[in-house]
Amino acid sequence: MDSLHAIGFYVSSGISLAGGLGVALLPLRDQRGASMAVAGIGLAGIYFSLSAGFAAGVALVCYVGCAALLASVQYRTLESVASVLGRQLGAIGAAALVALLVYSAWRGDFVHGAFFGGAFGAASVGRVLLAHDALATEAVAAVVLVGLAGAVAAWRLRERAR
Amino acid sequence: MSVGLVGVFLVAAGLVGAGAFTAAWRRDLTAALAGVPLMFAGAGVAFVGVSRFSVAGGPQLFGQAFAVLLAISAVALVALGVGIAGREASR
Repeated sequence: MDSLHAIGFYVSSGISLAGGLGVALLPLRDQRGASMAVAGIGLAGIYFSLSAGFAAGVALVCYVGCAALLASVQYRTLESVASVLGRQLGAIGAAALVALLVYSAWRGDFVHGAFFGGAFGAASVGRVLLAHDALATEAVAAVVLVGLAGAVAAWRLRERAR
Repeated sequence: MSVGLVGVFLVAAGLVGAGAFTAAWRRDLTAALAGVPLMFAGAGVAFVGVSRFSVAGGPQLFGQAFAVLLAISAVALVALGVGIAGREASR
């Protein structure tokens, strides 16, 4: 990987992590939605610098969609029943998870290979999705359909109840 | 300056940790749901990194394809969660 790709990777990583922390810490839903969009832009940059251009495009569209959902007027809050102690224990667990993942990445013994890294990859990824992994693709499509149908049904019920 | 698989995994760990922290820390359940796409993003970065660095003899695109599936699953999950939250809040 040359220096330009490495710089792109590190800058995109910083943008994505900053967006992720914004989603976790910012108080307003508009701000959290904007942070999710920033995280998506950074994620797309990471994918692009790793020679996964098609995945970068799909991730950008999907995460901007997530941001729009989180910042939309249909957003409603649901208070959690978890106590303050439970949330603090969960945060400590998240920190322990990061420590475990960093340790495993640092101490892991990986075999390095070679990849030409030039292709945008849309046709190749399409062949993988629609030929080799067609069943998994259809399963995810079913999940998307159920999610969108559920959101539309919930919205219609709420509108009818008004 | 270069990037290796360890660097990719460190970024993936950061994203997964940010997502887990979001899911655990937010009092609002709908806001906590926003941690799931971040965890999926971390997993996708790890898959793409493995696809990029650990392949010998040509491009193996399973990692990229799985990252695409994770991104689509993330937006579907958020759509479902926001829809359910809207329905519950209107009751």
